[in-house]
Formats: sequence, C-alpha cells, structure tokens
Amino acid sequence: MSIQTSMPIISMRHVDKHFGQLHVLRDINLDVAKGEVVVLIGPSGSGKSTLCRTINRLETIDSGEILFEGKPLPQEGKELAAMRAEIGMVFQSFNLFAHKTILDNVTMGPVEVLHRPRKEAEAEAMELLDRVGVAAQAHKVPAQLSGGQQQRVAIARSLAMHPKAMLFDEPTSALDPEMINEVLDVMVELAGMGMTMVVVTHEMNFARRVSNRVVFMADGQIVEQNTPDEFFDHPKSERAKDFLDSIKGH
Amino acid sequence: MSATVSMRDALYEAPGPKTRKRVLVGTAISLVLLALGIAFVIRQFYINDQLNPKYWSFFGRWTTWRFLLKGLWGTIKVAATAGVIAMALGLLLMLGRISPNKLLSSACHVITEIFRSLPSLLLIYFFFLVIPKYGIRMPSFWMITIPVSLAASGVLAEVFRAGVNAVPKGQVEAAMSLGMTHGKITRKIVLPQALKIVIPSLVSQLVVVVKDTTVAYVVSYPDLMQNARVLISNYDALVSMYFVVAIIYIAINYATNQFSVYLAHRMGTQVVSRMDENPV
Ligand SMILES: Nc1ncnc2c1ncn2[C@@H]1O[C@H](COP(=O)(O)OP(=O)(O)OP(=O)(O)O)[C@@H](O)[C@H]1O
Ligand SMILES: [Mg+2]
Repeated sequence: MSIQTSMPIISMRHVDKHFGQLHVLRDINLDVAKGEVVVLIGPSGSGKSTLCRTINRLETIDSGEILFEGKPLPQEGKELAAMRAEIGMVFQSFNLFAHKTILDNVTMGPVEVLHRPRKEAEAEAMELLDRVGVAAQAHKVPAQLSGGQQQRVAIARSLAMHPKAMLFDEPTSALDPEMINEVLDVMVELAGMGMTMVVVTHEMNFARRVSNRVVFMADGQIVEQNTPDEFFDHPKSERAKDFLDSIKGH
Repeated sequence: MSATVSMRDALYEAPGPKTRKRVLVGTAISLVLLALGIAFVIRQFYINDQLNPKYWSFFGRWTTWRFLLKGLWGTIKVAATAGVIAMALGLLLMLGRISPNKLLSSACHVITEIFRSLPSLLLIYFFFLVIPKYGIRMPSFWMITIPVSLAASGVLAEVFRAGVNAVPKGQVEAAMSLGMTHGKITRKIVLPQALKIVIPSLVSQLVVVVKDTTVAYVVSYPDLMQNARVLISNYDALVSMYFVVAIIYIAINYATNQFSVYLAHRMGTQVVSRMDENPV
C-alpha cells in the first residue's frame, strides 16, 4: 500500500515521558501520514495508551515534541481545546456522558464546541447514528445500551466533530466477543473512507486487513515497525516474536 | 428494563426462615428494652417530682406555644438563610479549588480547610466579640447566620468535591477530547452529575446547620433554643422544657432527612420512568 510522503499529519520527535521513576516513553519517533492507519501493539504496560494519549495531550510529555499538521501541540487553554477538537478519541471504556441521551452525546461537541445550531447538529447526529447502526437508540441513555452499541455511539460522537485524525485506545477490549465485530466493522469502514487512524489493539485480523503499518512497542520503546503482513509473518525482534507467540496462544 | 433496586435490596439478601426468626426475636427484645427505657424515664421524672403539673401546665397556654413557635421561626430563618449561603459559598469554594488556576485553587483550598476546621462557636464569638470592636455593627440575625454559614460552607465544599470526584474521569477526558474547555466541561458534564450524587449528603449537612443554630443564644438571637431558655427561667421548668424542645429539634431534622430520602427517591425514579418511556 502506498502512502503519500507529504508532510505527516502527526509527528512525534524524540518524545520522552516518565511517570515518577517509571520511564514510560523512551525516545519515541513516529510519523503518521494523512489517511494512514497505524496499529500500535505490544505487551501490557509497554506504553501504548500513554503514547496514544500524548497525541491529543491528555498526557503531557517531558521532552521532545509532537506536531499536529506541522504545528506543535498547544500547551493549554483555548488553543489546546481547539486542537483537540480536530482529533477524535475513542476509549476502551466508551466514556459516554451518562446523564445525556445518545443523541445529546453526539450533539454535545458540535453544539458546545463548534457552535452549530442544535437542529442542524441533531440532523447530522441522526445520520451518524444511522451509519453506525444505533439510530433506534437515539433517545435512550447510555446505560440502556450494550457495550458494542455504546462504543459505536462513542465513534459517532467523535465523527460528529469531523476530526482530521482519530485515536483508538483498545476500542474492543472491554466488549463481549460477539460485539467486537460490530465495532470493528465501523472502524474498517472509516479506514476505507480515508480516515487517519492510530489504533491500539490486539485484533490481528483487523490489523492485517486494514492497517498500513504495525508499530510494536515494548518497555516504552518502539522496537520494530513494518507492514502488517511482514510484521505478523516475519517479526524481526525476539521481543516481537515472544509477544506474537503469547497472543497466538489464545 | 426492571426498576432500580433499592439500596436495601442491594445490600441485604432476602431473609430465609432462620433469619426471619432471628429478626422476630430481635424485634421483641428491642421492644421490651424500649418499654423498660420509657418506664425508667417516667419513674425518674416521678421520683424527682418532674411530673408535677407546675412544670407542665404552662404548655397548656397558647402564649407559651406562640413564643416557642416564634423561636422556631427564628431557627428556621437562620437555618434556611445559612443553608442557602453555605451552599452557594461551598459551591464557589469547590469550583475555585478544581480550577486550573493554581493560585485560585490553593487559596480556595486553604479557605475551605479553615472554615471546615474552626468550631462554629469560635466563629460566632469572632463575629459577636471581635468584629464589633472594629466598629462594625450588625443585627444578631447576621451574627449567628454568617458564622454558621461559613462553617458549613467549608464542609459543603468538600461534599461537592466528593461529588465531582465521583463523576467518572473518563467522561471528563472524553469531553476534553471533543475540545470542550474546563468551564464547559464543569457546567455541562461534571456538575449535573455531581449534584445529583451529593443531594443526600447535602441534606444531612443541612441537619448540622440546624443544630449549629442552637448556639444563637450566645448573640441573644431569639431562636427556638433562646426562647426556650427564657421560658425555663420564667417557669423554672428546666427538664420539661428541654424535653419538649428536644422533640421539636428531632422533628425538624427528621423532616429534613425525609425530604432527602424523598429527593433521592425522586431522582432515582426519574431515571427509571425515562427508561420505561423507551423500552429496550
Ligand atoms: N497515570 C499514571 N500514573 C503512573 N503510572 C502510570 C499512569 N498511567 C500509566 N502508568 C504506567 O505506565 C506504564 C505504561 O502504561 P500504559 O497504560 O501506557 O501501557 P499500555 O501499553 O497501554 O498497557 P495495557 O495494554 O495494559 O493497556 C504502565 O506501567 C502503567 O502502570
Ligand atoms: Mg492501554
């Protein structure tokens, strides 16, 4: 698969981060091109979530720099909020607003951040909910939906902001097995439409089918990266081989 | 969708035959003990001549009750005003404390801790004895209401903060990643859920406010307690008077607590009725 080599949309340069004594990100260098789908994979505690969260500054970094569309991430305030509005994020635990209906969850961003008229935002939200297959649940509250439905709403909520890139942190890990595919299907469709995506996941089928690149992390470092077929079939590092053996065992 | 389980059902499993028997025996024993207790009190009253009509007959007069009711009204006025001020101030202190502005945050933290740890009586003495020395005169109503408000605001700030902390952090992160600012997130996501969570503790804190008002006699404000003291010296009826006043305070606070139960229940059923509208 060929990805245009113009300016990357996300660019991490020599990024380091500690949690106290723990060195969670070590000299991370990662470029993500527009329209690229990058899967982050690695053992538990290797820093995948942390890396993902530094991209929209839910985690700060100690040193190095992160550029979004060539510009350094703003540090705080309105500028930071405006930058976050352009990057969608989907969490492992859905994180829907529990006191709002599904429809209100999806219109929250457009109405409160983009100041779109409510009617218009609701019309678009209904289209998005329809696209992810939960339009019938629009007037329920999150607790009434299954995990798979909630996660699809969370994706719709991100999409309503027309993000330029999306981050997914183990979007299917909290789901019952029979619900995983309904969420992955939505993500496959998104990738097909050219969305730039950084996805932390252990779903190897998804990675093979959709991603342009697999980035393998261990102990806070990027150990190797390659096309999915190369990575899964011919891992180079011992750590990656061990890791792949361990998850194939399941 | 089934209705929400009440707290009781969630905490205790349905009793089996053995448990039912134990509950029955327990109830019987408690009733006997209660009856013995009441008998003991009446006996003590009798022995100490407290059942003498001279200590009770003035309760038959309308003027006594009018005077007590006036005191009760005073108590309610102070408690209600202090409750409202304390809630507003407590909310502001909490909002300041969670603000990203470090200076504002630590200032509010310090103020909260001071109000929370000073005994309200000390604050009352401050407003009663110290402030007038500097030429500031205020009616006795405010001399009791302000200190009680301040003391309660410290506690309420902590109650509100507990509510804010109980809102799942992930929702805040989701709102942040939508590009919402701190203020918007607080108003739209955090507060609506936090306030709902804290209502029961908020109301039980108001009970403390009602109890705090009893020191109003320090500033000679005519609340229930102060008026009761006047009656006590007029009729030389210490025990009977305190007995009646205690029952009135218990009644007020019982009513307040029932109100909190009602509120919590109403909010619970609101969610349920909403679910019923759109069955899965
Ligand atoms: N807020 C935090 N404070 C302190 N340590 C943290 C914090 N968040 C994560 N860590 C630690 O940092 C390390 C990396 O965590 P991270 O969540 O990025 O790993 P991960 O690769 O996403 O793991 P998993 O597969 O379990 O989600 C872990 O050892 C974790 O315990
Ligand atoms: Mg993780």
